[in-house]
Amino acid sequence: MNIAPIISPELLGATRAGASEKPAGKVDLADSFAKALQDAHGAEHTATDSAERFAKGDSGMGIHEVMIASEKANLAIRYMTTAKNKALEAYRELMNTQV
Amino acid sequence: MSSMDFFTAMEVSASGLSAERTRMNIAASNLANAQTTQTAAGGPYRRRDVTLASVDVPGTRNTQFAQAVRGVAVSQISQDATPPRLEYDPGHPQANAQGYVAYPNINPVEEMVDMITASRAYEAGVTSMTTATNMAERALGIGR
Repeated sequence: MNIAPIISPELLGATRAGASEKPAGKVDLADSFAKALQDAHGAEHTATDSAERFAKGDSGMGIHEVMIASEKANLAIRYMTTAKNKALEAYRELMNTQV
Repeated sequence: MSSMDFFTAMEVSASGLSAERTRMNIAASNLANAQTTQTAAGGPYRRRDVTLASVDVPGTRNTQFAQAVRGVAVSQISQDATPPRLEYDPGHPQANAQGYVAYPNINPVEEMVDMITASRAYEAGVTSMTTATNMAERALGIGR
């Protein structure tokens, strides 16, 4: 997993030049965050779906599949929340900079 | 998610758990049918055997890890070709002209061993999955 540095000079330059002009090959913080959110959403959806299939008596859905799906969703959401907290922390740190 | 994070280990363990569950089901089926003399195909129940094969892990396909990290799946469930056990019981409705009844070629002790092996392998799979989860949680705790 590649997490873009928050205070990289290229990123700051890109922000000044306009958010639409991203340097080629660079991962925007917003993009990686959106992807983490998407992953978490997908994992959560899979977990709900497998729990539902298990409850309906789907013979192909074992207990461990349901547990694993919910564990994955748990991890993905925790990762997303942690990434969000770190990003917000960095943002607040920047905003509190004395000039 | 990238191909080599902890989710890959979880996928591998999950495939192992599914395979062991199938093995458990087959052992249970063999044990339950140890005295079955009548089947739809005719003749006594025949012992089932599970063949496991290594398979690609979802998400690692076409990566350099696809050949290194392998999941497992049941490739086929075969029937044991060992001849049935003949027991002399002329009063039995399934007895042949000589008075012998064909019983399944199942040794309950063998099935118990299979079952315990499946159970231990399942435990090992759960342990490796728990370890992967714990590692991921540790990673999330970095800097906290």
